[in-house]
Amino acid sequence: MLRIALQSLAHDRGKLVASIAGVAFAATLVFAQVGLYAGFLQSSSAVIRHVGGDVWVMARGTVVVDNGERLSAGSREIAAAHPCVERVRGLVLSFQALRKPNGSLEAVQIVGFEPSPKQVLPWAMARGLPQDLHPPMRVAVDRLDVEKLAIDGDPIGAELGIGAESVRVAAVTDGIRAFTLAPYVFAELATARRLTLLGSDQAFYWVLDLARPECASEVVASVDRHPDLVARRTDDFREMTETYWVAGSGAGAALGFSALLGLVVGVVIVGQTLYAVTKEHLRELATLKAIGASPAEIVSFVGWQAAFLALVGGGLGLGMAFGVRNLAVDAGLTIVLSGPVLALGSAAVLLMCAVASVWSVRAVLALEAAEVFR
Amino acid sequence: MTRVLVRSVALEKTFGEGELATPVLKGISVEVAAGELVLLMGPSGSGKTTLISVLAGLLRPTAGHVELCGAPISDLHEADVTRVRRRHLGFVFQSYNLFPALTALDNIAEVLKLKGLAARDARARATRALTDVGLGDRLHHRPGQLSGGQKQRVAIARALAGDPALILGDEVTAALDTHTALHVLAILRAQVNAERGILLVTHDKRLEQFADRVIEIEDGQISRVTPGGARTGAAA
Ligand SMILES: Nc1ncnc2c1ncn2[C@@H]1O[C@H](COP(=O)(O)OP(=O)(O)OP(=O)(O)O)[C@@H](O)[C@H]1O
Ligand SMILES: [Mg+2]
Repeated sequence: MLRIALQSLAHDRGKLVASIAGVAFAATLVFAQVGLYAGFLQSSSAVIRHVGGDVWVMARGTVVVDNGERLSAGSREIAAAHPCVERVRGLVLSFQALRKPNGSLEAVQIVGFEPSPKQVLPWAMARGLPQDLHPPMRVAVDRLDVEKLAIDGDPIGAELGIGAESVRVAAVTDGIRAFTLAPYVFAELATARRLTLLGSDQAFYWVLDLARPECASEVVASVDRHPDLVARRTDDFREMTETYWVAGSGAGAALGFSALLGLVVGVVIVGQTLYAVTKEHLRELATLKAIGASPAEIVSFVGWQAAFLALVGGGLGLGMAFGVRNLAVDAGLTIVLSGPVLALGSAAVLLMCAVASVWSVRAVLALEAAEVFR
Repeated sequence: MTRVLVRSVALEKTFGEGELATPVLKGISVEVAAGELVLLMGPSGSGKTTLISVLAGLLRPTAGHVELCGAPISDLHEADVTRVRRRHLGFVFQSYNLFPALTALDNIAEVLKLKGLAARDARARATRALTDVGLGDRLHHRPGQLSGGQKQRVAIARALAGDPALILGDEVTAALDTHTALHVLAILRAQVNAERGILLVTHDKRLEQFADRVIEIEDGQISRVTPGGARTGAAA
């Protein structure tokens, strides 16, 4: 039946090409939207994932990493109190006004971190090394933000003003973009504290590395007893941040809606093709039924065609999605085509073709073998 | 004693129910045995197509009994009737019913594959069947590239390739000119043997010369049974 199905589908070249194009278009849209969604999730929580640790200590009321508050002196001791805490790392994450070389202002996000043997920060370098940020008042900016920051010529060595301080660009990161689109300015903690007017025992977050991850809930509970502080497991805080940005901003719903629209268009195009091909072959299919083909064999006439369109159209769409991803990088959009994204997208395309074949399957099941003599 | 391939006893078929009930077959008892070619004739609407559909197990009788190649198909489940058809029947139609996208060879081989043959065997048998009907040089033509008579020969080859005991046909020559119609009938006639019989519905008097018997029905009842030309020795 495979051969009968595919040759019958291929017989009308125009219809075949149109329907493959339809599936490919729908698949591209679905893969790109799901990938964009995954990209949003990824970029909104990038700082949390790359700074890592087991538990994050923050000001009570903090719901998203980008809106943390400065913690008072003494909070470090509270965070470090539990015996399971092996290491406490300070983190600064704060919006500041940056004075560009041309004198105008730009909102940037200072990321001040403590170097750690386990985490490479900043996590993607285009030029220079993390160590280049070690001398005082050295920062890294992203290559995608160089233009936005109005830096002319070689960014390395460029001077930028933040508050009353002046910093020098010592390294360039490679495509690290915030969900908020405010440029990240990476610095080591000491530099970041000066830029955000924090004392040497202050930070926005205390990131705890535990001796044993199992004691996380105990550590969280002990910090939570303090009225001004709250502690969260790193994964919980990551999820909160992702939900805040992606669901809260409506970006998720918007992406989901356009993916759905693509699927609906795909269902209509594929459904029409399958139905037309089936209609044209009802007499021959009734003949096969009379000759002794089982209902399942007759249904596989539609099944193979739907599977073929899903495979070829979906494959093309996947290729196109990779193309779109590369174009999107230059537009500053991250489309993540990871395993789960591809699995979800492929499932959606398969489902689309399955739904599209429902009308044809009903038509062939309603077929009476006695029709052959009519 | 020759083997009876299909037998009906007091067969009745009524379409619809109640006020709308239309009795079409009104007590028909017929037999077709191996070794004979039987024509079923009669005026339009007399119930010929309905009769062979019931005999083939494509329609259920309202009353009466049908035995097809030893199986009491009027009492069997649908799936079992399908199996009997698959095993023992060949069909030929007025409109050929060939897949337009498939070559003559594939049209036959794919049906054989549905019947359970391996691809290689199916192609070998299909080639032989096409050669038997004189289309050995048209294996890779599609229906669109064949004449009506050639298409009907492909359809006959498709029926024959399954090595059926009984071949059923409805108006198989209606779309063909006289010369081609007689050629097609001669091919069918040549396939009748001690194991195989053929039952054809037709309006075409010219075909009588190939038949062993002609059964005429009128208004759902058998009105006359006469010997055909093959029996009286007048076959071409
Ligand atoms: N599915 C059906 N439902 C209702 N009536 C039907 C159905 N099929 C056939 N009939 C009726 O049964 C009668 C016999 O039809 P049938 O097709 O068997 O005639 P026929 O002898 O083959 O005629 P023709 O020579 O024109 O093909 C007709 O009156 C037809 O209207
Ligand atoms: Mg008829």
